[in-house]
Amino acid sequence: MKVSFNELQGLSRKAFLALGFSDGHADDAADMVAWMESFDLHGLEALNNGLAHLMEEDPDALPHILYQDGDMAVVDGQDLSVLRSSNLALELAFAKARARGLSVIKIRRCRQRQLIMGYLARLAGRGMNVTAFWRNAQKPLTEQVIGFRANSTVPSIRVYSVEEVPEENEPNNGITVIMANHVDLLPTMRSDYRYDLLAKHEESDLMAVRERAIANGIEVDPALWERLKVLAQKTLVEASDASRLGAGPT
Amino acid sequence: MMDLPPNTNAALQALRPPSVVMALERLGSLHSSRLSFARSLIRQMARQRWHITCERFALNAQGHGQAIYRIQTPNNRYHAVIFAQALDDELRSDRVIANAWDITFGLVEGDVEDSLMASLAENLPLQEAGRQHPSLLVISRANKSERNFEQFVDALASGHQPDSKLLLDAGYLYRTTAVYGNGKFGIADYGRLQSNPDFKRPFSAQMTVVYLLRHFAVAQIEHIARCRAPKKAVALHPELQRYMGIGNSTGLGMAPFLINHPQLIDRWITAREQSLALCKLQAPTELNRRQLVALCERARQYFAETKVDDTHQQHLNDVVVTEMDSVLPWLEQVELTDTLWQALCDWAEAALSVESQELLHSLLMELYPSLVDPFEDVMSVQEKQELHPDMPLVQLKQLIETHFDWALAENFDEPQSCYWFWYRSVEKEEPRLGVRGQDPGVEKELALAVAPRVQRCHTAIEAFLTDNPRVLTIEFLMANPRFMDTVRRIQTMAATSYGEIRANLWHQDMKPMHLLRTKLSFLGASRFDPRSDRWVRVTFFQGAPLVDELNREPTDLASFDDWSFPLAPTLRETTATTTIRDTIDTNTSIHTDTSTSTSTDNITCAEEHDESLL
Repeated sequence: MKVSFNELQGLSRKAFLALGFSDGHADDAADMVAWMESFDLHGLEALNNGLAHLMEEDPDALPHILYQDGDMAVVDGQDLSVLRSSNLALELAFAKARARGLSVIKIRRCRQRQLIMGYLARLAGRGMNVTAFWRNAQKPLTEQVIGFRANSTVPSIRVYSVEEVPEENEPNNGITVIMANHVDLLPTMRSDYRYDLLAKHEESDLMAVRERAIANGIEVDPALWERLKVLAQKTLVEASDASRLGAGPT
Repeated sequence: MMDLPPNTNAALQALRPPSVVMALERLGSLHSSRLSFARSLIRQMARQRWHITCERFALNAQGHGQAIYRIQTPNNRYHAVIFAQALDDELRSDRVIANAWDITFGLVEGDVEDSLMASLAENLPLQEAGRQHPSLLVISRANKSERNFEQFVDALASGHQPDSKLLLDAGYLYRTTAVYGNGKFGIADYGRLQSNPDFKRPFSAQMTVVYLLRHFAVAQIEHIARCRAPKKAVALHPELQRYMGIGNSTGLGMAPFLINHPQLIDRWITAREQSLALCKLQAPTELNRRQLVALCERARQYFAETKVDDTHQQHLNDVVVTEMDSVLPWLEQVELTDTLWQALCDWAEAALSVESQELLHSLLMELYPSLVDPFEDVMSVQEKQELHPDMPLVQLKQLIETHFDWALAENFDEPQSCYWFWYRSVEKEEPRLGVRGQDPGVEKELALAVAPRVQRCHTAIEAFLTDNPRVLTIEFLMANPRFMDTVRRIQTMAATSYGEIRANLWHQDMKPMHLLRTKLSFLGASRFDPRSDRWVRVTFFQGAPLVDELNREPTDLASFDDWSFPLAPTLRETTATTTIRDTIDTNTSIHTDTSTSTSTDNITCAEEHDESLL
């Protein structure tokens, strides 16, 4: 079925509220999902895959700063979805980059990492060059890098597999993000090591996808849509004759 | 960017403070003005030579069936698609929770192919329960004013004009109960309109479809009357057509918009205040004075004619009438000085009710179209509330104390300050009010009340600063993440003047009606007719030029635009309708002349399609 961007954002927001997100975090999480889906980057699929875990997460758990100095921070994502744990950690990196010109933040132990892209886009829109890097799998070793130019909310994305696996190849469920005030951080593939490019999304292609989504609507899985609606329903109050009076007599 | 007129800097110095402008009672006393979106739309249509033609008019003898109107602008082509159906009286409800309506309709961007028409026929009548097509910019529905509708049809079928007094009680044949845009139920996203030169102004697509419904309503009753009495029926007199508007029934569903779009509200109010400040700085001529006297006389008469059931609103209207009786001699007797308008507004503030003050402001803005109208292009905004994570926390605290002092002044320990809570019902997600501690649902409360959020945030900041006096905002938020949306709002809105409505929306004495009227006045509503403190009926486009007048490509655009505060027509005196202003804005004539207007396209369409009745 097709839905509008606004519908997707609105229903997602209500679903996140039902999952115990605060208003601000529900806004951000809904924006992140809808942003990805509008670029056909499978935001809903990522959400669907992680929904069961999201429903079990402690809504009051906070990402914890393990280390920070003027230029960098390491944050423990507490095994939470990036929908819960990344926005403020990224704002911390943004503040450091503004103050020092460049910052690095590592968010360790986080889930649904693809979905972080929407918030990175938001920071890029505020004039920050941003790049994010993480490993998707260990065997074969695949890596993903996403870059945004300052003031552009459309990314360049590369996903590739590395053939020469380094000795140190421990599972890594973290993300490394670099922000810089003045320097482009776009992913340009240059390496003496051998790699296979698995996916490549250029800004121009993604912009065209986005325009089509706004013009024609966004295709969603009806089963997932229904699942979100059931969740969203939990934010609503049962009706009664007395509650109907709460909207004023007719 | 608009070109700023002379005196702008002086006007910016003279802006009224937010503490005055954003008080809820004052916002709830606003009247439509020439910056209202209905007025802007009609001016745009005339200036750009929009043409509206009937493409299909397939109604049966009871007026049920389909109609399609084409709207040709310089940039694009659109179609208003209307479905009229039989509706049992017991199903007719203005509440958003209704499931069936007399009329359902929508505005399509581009052409209506057969496949699209089939989809519209299947889904538009269902409204929220349907999956709507992304080529639809707006969908809406409307119910008949049963008494007016039947009496108008009866009169026309018997060869007479209906009594114009019917329109004094309810100035319409149809009343919309919701007009949806922005991606609702699958229709086009707001993003589509932002880059559309025809509809980039706020709510202009919605206003267009409401304007078309008014045109259809006349065509429909004339058609039914003709079917009943083919030889005897007459067309509705143009003066009555003009005096007929479209009703709208609005409840609490409109309230969250005012709170959830503070940057947009800031643009609307800022445009109005800057326009007003510029007008007040103008040195009036004797002609200007006579124009304002004429406008006050017309407005006085309009309020004298307006009868509403709500005793409080009727009292307010009566006070306006009485106070206009003192404004008129003041205007005629006070010496004509360069500062007359400022003196008038100062006197009004000291001597008149808030309703009368704001009425005078709306009327004063009528005198200077060339100063005011450019503001209609700066009433949209790309809304985004962003965090400034590197702001020192102590600075954030100061922002709150400077810009949200009204929120800090509220005492939330008093029960009356926390009386209401807002929530959404499972019934079509309708916003409702519950009594805290009494009604169920408080755990699902909507965060609409800004004042308690800001106050709680301020308290938490004070405590955090005690132990961490030199920290940044982000450090506070890492420890207190649930304040993130409040901090974003504070940091964003502190850079504006008029976005925050200064009221405690939890307070027992809070009047939701004021919220509704704030938005309705900017949309261009008139005849505020409260049915309770949470429910109001209004009228749009009453007095507005007809489609036929628009299609004749008017050359006197100032005259075309002069339709605020319309008076009930006296049909025998049609050709001698009062000329309100001979000249305005130095050289443009404003008058009302509909005596030659006819509804030819309605009749033509009806004749063409009578054989294809459903």
